[in-house]
Amino acid sequence: MTAGGTVFVIDDDAGVRKALSRLLRASGWEARAFASPQEFLAGHDPSEPGCLVLDVALPQQNGLDFERELAASGAGRPVVFITGQGDVPTSVKAMKAGAVDFLTKPFGESELLAAVQIAMEKDGAAREARAERRKIGDRIAKLTLRERQVLEHVVAGQLNKHIAASLGTVEKTVKVHRGRIMRKMGATSLVELVRMADLAGIRPSPAQPPAP
Amino acid sequence: MSQTTRTGSPAVLSGPGSRLLALTGLAGVRPETWRQALLVAAAYYLGAKIGFAFTFQPHPISTLWLPNALLLAALLLTPVSSWWLLLAAALPAHLAAELQSGVPLAMVLGWFASNSTEALIGAVCIRRLCAAPLRFDSFRDVGVFLVFGAFLAPLLSSFLDAALVTVIGWGREPYWHLVRVRLFSNILAALIVVPFVLTWVADGFAALRGASPRRAAEAAALVAGLLVVGFATFDRHQAVSGAIPALLYTPLPLLLWATVRFGPRGTGATILLLVLLAIWGATHGEGPFVTSSPEENARSIQLFLIAMSVPVLLLAATLEQRRKDMIAQRQAELEAKEHRQQLTHLTRVALLGQLSGALAHELNQPLTAILSNAQAALHFLAADRIDPAELREILDDIVAEDQRAGEVIHRLRALFKRGETELRLLQVNELVLESLDLAHGDLVTRNVAVATDLSPHLPLVRCDRVQMQQVLLNLLVNACEAVSAAGARHVTIATRATDDGGVQVSVTDRGLGIAPERQPRLFEPFFTTKPQGLGLGLSISRSIVTAHGGRLWGTNNAGPGATFHIALPGHGETSA
Repeated sequence: MTAGGTVFVIDDDAGVRKALSRLLRASGWEARAFASPQEFLAGHDPSEPGCLVLDVALPQQNGLDFERELAASGAGRPVVFITGQGDVPTSVKAMKAGAVDFLTKPFGESELLAAVQIAMEKDGAAREARAERRKIGDRIAKLTLRERQVLEHVVAGQLNKHIAASLGTVEKTVKVHRGRIMRKMGATSLVELVRMADLAGIRPSPAQPPAP
Repeated sequence: MSQTTRTGSPAVLSGPGSRLLALTGLAGVRPETWRQALLVAAAYYLGAKIGFAFTFQPHPISTLWLPNALLLAALLLTPVSSWWLLLAAALPAHLAAELQSGVPLAMVLGWFASNSTEALIGAVCIRRLCAAPLRFDSFRDVGVFLVFGAFLAPLLSSFLDAALVTVIGWGREPYWHLVRVRLFSNILAALIVVPFVLTWVADGFAALRGASPRRAAEAAALVAGLLVVGFATFDRHQAVSGAIPALLYTPLPLLLWATVRFGPRGTGATILLLVLLAIWGATHGEGPFVTSSPEENARSIQLFLIAMSVPVLLLAATLEQRRKDMIAQRQAELEAKEHRQQLTHLTRVALLGQLSGALAHELNQPLTAILSNAQAALHFLAADRIDPAELREILDDIVAEDQRAGEVIHRLRALFKRGETELRLLQVNELVLESLDLAHGDLVTRNVAVATDLSPHLPLVRCDRVQMQQVLLNLLVNACEAVSAAGARHVTIATRATDDGGVQVSVTDRGLGIAPERQPRLFEPFFTTKPQGLGLGLSISRSIVTAHGGRLWGTNNAGPGATFHIALPGHGETSA
């Protein structure tokens, strides 16, 4: 089993959450159980890898509402919903909101473990993507204002000549900026640079007509 | 008498009767009808013999001529298709009895004609006017019998009878005198014979066998009283003539006793017994009716007995009718109660149907825990990491969860059961908490928070646990639906002692409240504001609470929402 992530089980029913975390641990996962979303949020570290196994019918707050709040706060995690009463509208709502799975109690271990496996993979992928975005963001932060302007034109696919004209400088200077950008961003090709800029959310500068 | 009976009966079998049958070829007559015909012949013969015994000599007409009335009773008891056979069977009996007394044959046959006519007139009229067999258990039945069977039939046949006597020249009395004498005799016979025979033949002997010892003792006491009073009044020589009017009333209490306690059947028998005693006494020169000529004595005793029998028969019928009406009413009440119970059960099942999703939730929780625990244990076993302490803990948890599921089923079974109302002294707070347990799943899935405000010191209430849970559950579900629509998902359930020593339970919601136009119809059956509602919840709830001596009503809150109150009478002891 893939270790390295924690399954956070939130269910108001003590018997159920104890049994579920026991089963998850027996299957090789790290598992922690909470009686309510509040208990879960207290001392929660969003950077810790893992997924949620979340009961829909919670006394204080509906599980679906809690998941939405969590995602909005930026600490979203992949969620496997569990419910004692699986009605179609609720499950559709949950799946549309991005739930990994919607399991109706009583469910077998294979369903639960498969769903948790997928959730963990999703969490891993999301974490990797976040990490790379952060890395690129750090590199972009090291660029000077001029280099950033040049980058915007480069990713728009403009020639050095045109960039120089747009920025009111000479082609040779643009070339020097371009070399520095490639080095600072750690890019080995133009294609890689464009992908990084895209991930970092750099908008290409609109192409300007070459000077007459 | 026994000698003549034996000669009378064969006459029916070997006499003209069988030849007549052979001629008409009606061999399809059922054996039962043959038995009836034989019985009629025997009774007719006996009745005639008694009639002769009660004749004031040298008078030609008996004081109590029973055969005509016996024939009428027989006709009323048999289908019209076998009447001819009964009349045919009576003829030889008539001949046998009359010819022994030296009456000329023409007169004998004439009398048979008038006797049969009387029975036929009475039977036809009564059959026409009374749909059901005559049982003397309704005022109308007795009225029809008195007018047509006991008066009109004797009257019409007496015209014929007197005419025949005059034409044949058997008697010397004037025509109207004959009519009068025969009329009274036959009225009296009809009054004592027909009610007695018809009420006893139907189910009298079965009733005798099925009587309780106490009832049998009462009947025996009545008969003994009748014999004592009868002999004392009618069959003893009256020394002091001044005592006569008072003495005539002595049988009255016993007659009323029979009427009130033993119905038409007892009344018929009592009248028969009294009449036989009175006439036997009078014909033997005893009792209060021996002061004038035999003829006048006969008339006064007949009039006395007729006047006594008619109101008593009517009274017995009226009482019987009232008794039957009361039984029918009680039956209807029982049925209504049974229907109400069925309806209560059905609405409870419907209520549980509404809660079924929530109840499934209640069961799915322990089932999930059991499954996951068992599978975790299997993992530990497969991985060879067997820690006995952990395994024991897992098994303990499985047992606990299983018990929990069992409790859910147990609670449900009580509600699904259709049982008699079982009143117990219960604590209201306990009932409230149990109902909340039952509604728990529904409350959670609807995301409704219920606050409780339970007063600790309350009188006990006498109620049926399941029915009161039904009422509380119904109010809780209604409150949940009300707040789901409004969005403020809070319900409060409170208990408190009332000033009059009772308990009040209030379920308050923060919903939209009761619309004023709906308020008056709230508790009507089949009135509902819900698309899937039956409209029976509140109506049944109110009937349950009312049956417990309490009240159920709903009011709008000062703030948003409505409150439903149940007030139940308390039962002394204060619960801690």
